[in-house]
Amino acid sequence: MLSIQSLDVAYGGLRALSGVSLEVARGQFVAVVGANGAGKTTLFKTISGTVAPVSGAITYNGRDLLAVPPAERAQLGIAHVPEGRQVFASMTVMENLEMGAYTRAGRERWAQSLPMILELFPILAERRDQLAGTLSGGEQQMLAIGRGLASAPALLMLDEPSMGLAPAVVDLIFERIHQVHRDQGLTILLVEQRAAEALESCDHGYVLETGRVVLQGPHDTLMSDPRVRRAYLGM
Amino acid sequence: MTDWQWFIIDILQAFAAGLLVGGTYGLMCVGLGIIFGVMRVVNFAHGDFMMLGMYAAYYLVTGFGVLAFLGPYVAPIVGALLAGPIVFAIGWVLHRFLIANVTGARVVSAEAEGHYAQIILTLGIALVLANGGLILFGSLPISVQTPLSRESWAIGEVLLNKARTVSFFIAVAVAILLYMFLTRTSLGKALRAAADNPIAAAYVGVDVDRAHRLAFGLGVGITAIAGGLIASSQSFQPYIGFDFVIVMYAGVVLGGMGSILGAFWGGLTIGLVQQMSTLVLPYQLQNTAIFVVFLLIIFFRPQGMFGRVWERT
Repeated sequence: MLSIQSLDVAYGGLRALSGVSLEVARGQFVAVVGANGAGKTTLFKTISGTVAPVSGAITYNGRDLLAVPPAERAQLGIAHVPEGRQVFASMTVMENLEMGAYTRAGRERWAQSLPMILELFPILAERRDQLAGTLSGGEQQMLAIGRGLASAPALLMLDEPSMGLAPAVVDLIFERIHQVHRDQGLTILLVEQRAAEALESCDHGYVLETGRVVLQGPHDTLMSDPRVRRAYLGM
Repeated sequence: MTDWQWFIIDILQAFAAGLLVGGTYGLMCVGLGIIFGVMRVVNFAHGDFMMLGMYAAYYLVTGFGVLAFLGPYVAPIVGALLAGPIVFAIGWVLHRFLIANVTGARVVSAEAEGHYAQIILTLGIALVLANGGLILFGSLPISVQTPLSRESWAIGEVLLNKARTVSFFIAVAVAILLYMFLTRTSLGKALRAAADNPIAAAYVGVDVDRAHRLAFGLGVGITAIAGGLIASSQSFQPYIGFDFVIVMYAGVVLGGMGSILGAFWGGLTIGLVQQMSTLVLPYQLQNTAIFVVFLLIIFFRPQGMFGRVWERT
């Protein structure tokens, strides 16, 4: 579905990604783990089009994604839930979800996706008329994910949904992400600093270090790899 | 009638005048509110876009007389409304080629969100528009001719100038329509989203550059309609923008940054304060009264009358 080949990205001469290749198959849950500054967010920004690569190729459903303007990429079914949540602070919870459904597919599926989102995160139904900026961090993260789901995406990209949240909230959010993946068969690409939670239920994982993929493989291989266990799982 | 009764009538008269003037000020502030309050773009040229609106109305109604066939009563109103799309187009083009370089997603990480560059650029545009206006339109003060500005409706002893009353109702109607557009329609919400968080808006599929251009055009167009309405009850010249831009910023901050409704109330309050102050202060001190009230509100309620504090840390 999504295929990235030897992607190089630089910020004014500073290499952020070198030769990154990555595959996401339909229905898969793919996790990319790595420490701060490993290039996880840059990878996502390149897929969404807010950062342009130096070289490399991204194909999505056989289409050259780099030739598609950024605002059009959401229309192709790619939902990006950005780092730090980035909700529309001055708009209500409902308006945020409606903005998620700004794509054609989102509008067509709105009648089904809204009840699904509110069932997934009941707190959003309670807060529906509240300004998003007044929500707690965990609630904002739920709203950001809900906004992503509202676009009726084919690929849901989650950038560090655990950032700055209490452990109990992180557990809840990860559980909901798995639930969506399991029940709806939604393709998910997740980048995370919290390797244990991210790798635990992924189908395929990548380990990113200073802009390079240093390790990759299916769930079982990664979980039993001594380097991963030592460096990321604390075992 | 006794002195006491005359005093009450004076107060009512000033209140009515303030309300009527305030309605158009409110609309004017709503236009700036979209650009400054919501998009957080400092636009020093805003008053000069209003001046363009006044001249657009003038040339449509009196100058070239294109709208003369509508008769002296309807033509000034249609002229004011048409000033909106004309100035919208000018604003759209200026945003596309100049202002877009210092606003939007590419400056969110710049120092002070690109405000320094915006101040310098829009101040430059203001000077070019005002002086260009001087070359094109001349320095002679003019106004849009309508018999309405010389007629009044009387409610008891209180007189309501017809031109100002009609302007008031049109201003309120345009403000309500704009409010409905921004809160009820998909495009309106997309404009607000693009102003609120350009990056997230791009991720949900909004063409942010186009949305900013539309919002900017809309902001200056709305203020131009207000200018066109005022043009029939006040004389103006190409430098009038400067007199109004300060008042508009005061209105937007008074109402609360980011609140379209607040900007309208802010403008209305300024109209009321300006007219009511003439009861106790000399005419020349009108603007002083505005800023005394402005300072009081900033002192006691820094987020403005309708401002909401939504940023959590």
